[in-house]
Amino acid sequence: MDYARRHLRVGWSALLVFATLGLVLEALQGFKVAAYLDVANETRRLMWRLAHAHGALLGAINILFALTLKTFVPSAPLVIQRTSAALIGATILLPVGFFLGGVVFYSGDPGVGVLLVPVGATLLLLSLFWIARAVWNAPPPR
Amino acid sequence: MMRPFRGVRKAESPLLPAVALAGSAVLSGAIFVSFDRLPVESAIAARPVQTPGDGYTSSDTCRACHPSQYASWHASYHRTMTQVATPATVLASFDEVTVTDAPGGPMQLQREGQTLWAAFVDPDDAGGESRIRRRVVMTTGSHNQQIYWYATGNSRVLGQLPAIWLTAERTWIPRRAAIMAPPATRHVSETGAWNGVCVACHATDGRPQLDAPFGSRPLSELTADTRAVEFGIACEACHGPGQAHAGANRNPLRRYGLHFRNRGDDTITQPARLDPRRASQVCGQCHSFWEFSDASSERQANANGLPYRPGDDLDATRFIVQPNRNLDSPAMRALLAQDAGFIRDTFWSDGMVRATGREYNGLLESPCYRKAPADGSRTMTCFSCHAMHKTTDDGRALNDWASGQLAPRALGNGACVECHRTTAEHSHHRAGSAGASCVECHMPHTTYGLLKTIRSHQIASPSVTATVATGRPDACSLCHLDKTLAWTAAYLERWYGMAKPTLGDDEQSVAASVLWLLKGDAGRRAIIAQAMGRPPAQQASGSAWLAPYLALTQKDRYDAVRIIATRSLKTLPAFRRDQLQGNAELLINADGTFDAERVNRLVRLRDNRRLVYRE
Repeated sequence: MDYARRHLRVGWSALLVFATLGLVLEALQGFKVAAYLDVANETRRLMWRLAHAHGALLGAINILFALTLKTFVPSAPLVIQRTSAALIGATILLPVGFFLGGVVFYSGDPGVGVLLVPVGATLLLLSLFWIARAVWNAPPPR
Repeated sequence: MMRPFRGVRKAESPLLPAVALAGSAVLSGAIFVSFDRLPVESAIAARPVQTPGDGYTSSDTCRACHPSQYASWHASYHRTMTQVATPATVLASFDEVTVTDAPGGPMQLQREGQTLWAAFVDPDDAGGESRIRRRVVMTTGSHNQQIYWYATGNSRVLGQLPAIWLTAERTWIPRRAAIMAPPATRHVSETGAWNGVCVACHATDGRPQLDAPFGSRPLSELTADTRAVEFGIACEACHGPGQAHAGANRNPLRRYGLHFRNRGDDTITQPARLDPRRASQVCGQCHSFWEFSDASSERQANANGLPYRPGDDLDATRFIVQPNRNLDSPAMRALLAQDAGFIRDTFWSDGMVRATGREYNGLLESPCYRKAPADGSRTMTCFSCHAMHKTTDDGRALNDWASGQLAPRALGNGACVECHRTTAEHSHHRAGSAGASCVECHMPHTTYGLLKTIRSHQIASPSVTATVATGRPDACSLCHLDKTLAWTAAYLERWYGMAKPTLGDDEQSVAASVLWLLKGDAGRRAIIAQAMGRPPAQQASGSAWLAPYLALTQKDRYDAVRIIATRSLKTLPAFRRDQLQGNAELLINADGTFDAERVNRLVRLRDNRRLVYRE
C-alpha cells in the first residue's frame, strides 16, 4: 500500500470538499438564509462552521502526513496502517459529526450526530501521538 | 517492540506529546474557569448591586444552552427595565446638556469618560433652592421613557432626577408631568423609591434591605443595602431560580435524555407547561395591583425578597387588589386607610382596572378566564396572546416583536377564533377594517399609563349601559368619535339586542367623545385625547373637527393630558376652518364656528376631582 499517495488523495479531496462547504456557508451568510443565520439556529451555525474548519484542517494534516511519510520511509507496516486508518477515520468522523450535529439540534445542544466527534477526536489524537512519537524518535538524516 | 519508521531509534519516552497534552488541558481549564465567573459588584457601595445567591444564577448562565430565548429576551424591554447607567445604556445625551424645563431650575448633564453626572435642585431640600451635583448610576425603562437615578451618598439609596426622557419625542419633561397627577408647584422627592418599591418588579429577586420599612422614617435616617440577582426582568423572574437547573444540566447525558423524552425538566419552571391559572400568575406577580398581606410579610420581603416563585400560588404570597371581589377584606381596609382615593382613581366603578401595567387584574375579570372549565382547558392566559420569546414562525424583526411581545396568532383575530366561532357578519364592519378586529371592540383603549392609553385587558363587550354606570368610554365611541351615546345604543340594540339605557339630554345630543373631553375627569380626557390621534378613529369620524378640541385640551390642567393632546394634534393635517361643517352633535354651528355657550357650559360641568393614577 502506498500510504503517502493514499493520504495525498484523501487530504486534497478533504480540502476540496470542506473548502466547498466553506463557500456554501459564505453563500448562506451572503443571502441571509434564515435556516443558517437566525438566532434560533446559532447551534447549527456553530456546528457547520466547526465542520468546515475541522474538515479543511484535517485535509491539510493528511497532506502533511503524506509528506512526512515521504521523508521517513516506513518500516513497520502495521504501525503505519494503524496510524493511517486512525487519521482517515478522524478525517471523516470529526467534520461529519459536527455537520450532523447541526442538521438536527436541540436549542443549545447539537444533534446526536455530534457523538461522532469525540470518536474522531480520539482517533486524531492517537494518530498525532503516533506520528509525533515517530518523528521525535527519528534520528537525524544521514 | 515495533519500530514505526525505518531508522528510528527504539521508542523513547513520549514525554513531549504528553506534556503538550497536559499543557493544553490546563490552559483550557483556566480559560473555562475564568469565563465561568460572574461579574463581581461587591466593590460598589453607592448603588444597589447585582449578586447571585438564593438559588439564582443570572441570565449569563442561561445563554449557553438557550441562545434563541436569550436573544429574544435580550431584545425585550423587560431586560432594559433596570440598567446600570453608562453612555451605552442612557437614551438621552449627557454631553454638556442643560435641561431648562426641570423643576426648580435648569438641570445640567455632563459626561466624564464613562461616568454620567447631573447638577440640579435637590428634591429633598424642603426649601427647594440648594443645588447638588450627583453621579447618575442607574436607569429605569427605555420603551416609552427613561428615568434616571443618582447615588445619594447615603448607603445604596437612590434618588431620582427631577426630569425624565421621553423616548419617542426625544425630549425631557419634568418627572411629575409624566404621571397622571394634579399640577404641583415643585418636584416631589422619590428618593429611596427604587430601593423600596421598584426593586420588587424591576429587578430579578430584588431584596430592598432597608433598615426600616419604606416611608416609615424620614429619608435622612434611612439606609439600604439593596441587592438583586440581576437588574431588569431576567430569565429567572419567570422561570424561577436556575442554579440547580444549570448544575444538573451540565451533564450532557441528562440533557439528551430530556431532549428525547420531550418532557419538562423538574429543576426549572416552564410557565407554558403550568396549569393555566398558575401560568398567568407568573406575569401577575408584577402585572397586577398587589399589596403585602400584612406587616410581617413586608418585613420578610424587605430582608429576603418576595417569597413568590414561578409555579407557586400567587394568592398565597400576597394580596391581589380587586375591589369587586375583596373590597371588604382586612388588607383592603388597611390599604384604603393609607390612600382613600386609590380604588376610585385606579379602577372603574365596576372593578375594571384603568391603570397600565396591571393586566393580570383585567385577565382575572375576563369571562374567557373566569368562566373557563375547571379542568383548565380552554382557559385564556397571558400566553394566549403574548409570547415572551419570539417564536420561529414569527417573521417580524425582533424590535417589532418586542413592542407588545404579541404572539403571531394575536396579530389578527387568530387568538380569539380558537374558541369563538363567530360569523364574519358578527362585527357588522367591513372585513379587514379596524372594526372587524375582535380586540378593537372587546379590548378598547381604556387603560392609561406612561402617557398613553393601551387596550383594556379585561375582555368585555361594548355596552352603553356599562358606560353610563361607570363613565368608562365604550369601544364604539372611541372610534366613532362624532357619534352620540344614543346612536351607539341604537346600533347595539339593533345588532345585538342590547337594551337601551336611559340617557340624559347631552348624551342624546352631543357626541360622546366631546362630552368626555369637556366634562370627564382627567383619565377620561386622556383616553379621548389619544383616541383622537388614532388613524382608525380619524377614518371613521373625519379629522377636520378634531384639531380645535385637541388645541383646547392642550390647555388642560393635567400635564399628562396636555402631552397626549399635543401628540395627537401632530397626527392631523393643518387645520382649515373652511373644512368645518355644521354639526350639532360636535357643537359646530352651521357657519363653521363652535357653539361656545354649550362648550363652556360643559367645561363648567367638568369632573375636576383630584386624580392620581398609581402607575
